[in-house]
Amino acid sequence: MHTVVDLISLANEHLGTDLEPGDAARDLAEVPCWDSVHLLRLVSLLESELGRPVPVAEVLEARSLDEIWTAAVGA
Amino acid sequence: MSARGEAQRELRALHTAGRLIDAYPRIPALLARLGDEELDFAGRLLARLSPSEVLTAHPATPALRTAVTGRSTTAGLVPALTAQAARHGLLLIPYAAGNGSYVQDLADPASALYAHRPELTLCVLDPLTVWDRIRPPWQPYDVALEAERQRLLLAELAASHAAHAPAGATFVLNTVPLLRRFTHQLTGLAQRAELGAVWREFGADLLRMSDPAAGVAVLDLEPLTSAGVRADDPRLGAYADAHCTAELLAGYAREAVHLVRAQRGDAKKCLVLDLDGTLWDGILAEEGPERVRAADSLRAGAFAGFRRTVEQLASQGVLLAVCSKNDPEPVARALAAHPDWPLSTRDFVFVVADWGSKAEGVRTIAAGLGISPSAVVFADDSAFEREVVRAAVPGAAVVPLDGEPAHHTERLLADGWFDVPSVTEEDRVRAAHYREREQRARQQAAAKDYESFLRSLDISVDAGPAQDHETARIAQLSLRTNRFNLTGARLTVAQIRHLDRDPDALVLAVRAADRFGDDGVVGAVFGRRDGAGLHLENMVVSCRVLGRGIEDAVLAGLLHAAREAGLPAVHALWRPTAANEAQRAFCASHGFVAAGGDDRGGIRYRHALTRVPPVPPHVRLRLSLVPVQEVEECIPSSI
Repeated sequence: MHTVVDLISLANEHLGTDLEPGDAARDLAEVPCWDSVHLLRLVSLLESELGRPVPVAEVLEARSLDEIWTAAVGA
Repeated sequence: MSARGEAQRELRALHTAGRLIDAYPRIPALLARLGDEELDFAGRLLARLSPSEVLTAHPATPALRTAVTGRSTTAGLVPALTAQAARHGLLLIPYAAGNGSYVQDLADPASALYAHRPELTLCVLDPLTVWDRIRPPWQPYDVALEAERQRLLLAELAASHAAHAPAGATFVLNTVPLLRRFTHQLTGLAQRAELGAVWREFGADLLRMSDPAAGVAVLDLEPLTSAGVRADDPRLGAYADAHCTAELLAGYAREAVHLVRAQRGDAKKCLVLDLDGTLWDGILAEEGPERVRAADSLRAGAFAGFRRTVEQLASQGVLLAVCSKNDPEPVARALAAHPDWPLSTRDFVFVVADWGSKAEGVRTIAAGLGISPSAVVFADDSAFEREVVRAAVPGAAVVPLDGEPAHHTERLLADGWFDVPSVTEEDRVRAAHYREREQRARQQAAAKDYESFLRSLDISVDAGPAQDHETARIAQLSLRTNRFNLTGARLTVAQIRHLDRDPDALVLAVRAADRFGDDGVVGAVFGRRDGAGLHLENMVVSCRVLGRGIEDAVLAGLLHAAREAGLPAVHALWRPTAANEAQRAFCASHGFVAAGGDDRGGIRYRHALTRVPPVPPHVRLRLSLVPVQEVEECIPSSI
């Protein structure tokens, strides 16, 4: 996991989403294939991918994939 | 690539190409090959499809209207349920209620939940149930009090569901996992033990609310959590009000769909077992019958445990059969009765031991037992043989055993293939009935012609209003009988009891016996009386007794009884299903005249009762439409 694009690939691979790199900065509420149910699953996917816990509250409060990336990996 | 990888790849390709709806009938076969993680992914893909678009493309897909509600966020359950339903060929039509709105959803007759008309309502009790209302300082007594309040509330909601959900719908509760972060807030060991007891009593009280026949079921989650499924994630609970882990919801979804299969009468009927590596350790052809039976390897105990499981299933009506690539003679010797060997030839109603395809073997067994190949569960430790059967026997369930016999039992039981709402006395003696059937077959082979064979059977049929103790068996026949089911209609115990209270409704139990044994209740007639006469709404007869003239005797008897009662006519309906084409002409062959159709491809019939057909002479029939002391006799010679 080096960039938000890796996060997007992870989501597409496991959640069946059709996210594109251009969706990284968009408000998640405006991304058609995104559902809040995905976010809970993404937490566990990130943790198994990174091999460490992520700050769950910050990830859940994130409004975009960029913000999720920053909270989980980039911080 | 493994079958599992191949299925995963195909599923992704269908999704990418936007062809999941087109290929929907293929989905169950793909999902049957997937593991838990891939099922999670599949559920997310399938949950995004529009159920109405799937139904438009494939109108015959059986749908499952489901409502999900609970004390906290339960939306995560929908993808898991979608995948589990699809595995079993069902299309989930979900309604997910808002967070924590379960009391309003279930208590208000005008709620959106009831407007959805769910066949299945899941009221998910997460691990914070009861605890969300406990405030410090508290002791076990406070928890007991709150748990009882919760149980009484749930009982009221179950009653409300029974009143406002569609007839025959099932309301599902679950036991509540007990979390260490609550038990260990009690520092006194004695109080902590008391809390454990209080909590088990709460769980036991919930489980005792279970009455599948009345439309209430309670899933016991302890077997899931004791198998290592974590119940909650404190972080997702605290920050997202999602108190169940995805793994717990996945396990819950699996069990919930098994429950639906059981309620719909989709239980499999026969377990077909491989032998080498499945039922015993070793290779029969190399080691011989005595050595495979007397194996004293460390693994022998694991196989013995599996055989005990198989024996337990058989004791509840699961038919056992063998399909083995071996010569028949050593197989017969290996399966011969032996004091140290619980399963013997007598326990297997059919044995195929040859070197042909196992798919052919499974079909031979199904045909021999008079059941559909899709009612079979095939268990084999060979991936090759499993794939052969999966590919060539659509609808048959395939249990993936492997080289670790200690896992055989868990693998066999993982999918609840044989689950039924309630085991009846009939189930317990089913194998004996099949053995009697074999005796009849031998007798038939020895008889000069079929009619003299039928006469030799000395068949007696007793048909009359169903007794209370017969209701479960009649529901079972209605749910599980496909070949002789005139309309395909299915009735649960609750629905049959409802008919029993209706003075114009008629539910007749058909009981049969012959010189080889008493078959018990083998059929049922559902009818209604009004000014136009007797309306035969459905008739089901177990495929086990078809071909003996029992169905002909009952219909002729009904016509005689209707005429005796002064009714103007008997009306009947045949409606096509996937399995009842052979009965299309059943009514016409007894003098009924076609009187139009219905919007589901059915044919309506009417019998004016002017010329009533005779009861077949080889059947001694007693039939009554009313519960009377003196049973009316229909004697063929008097007609």
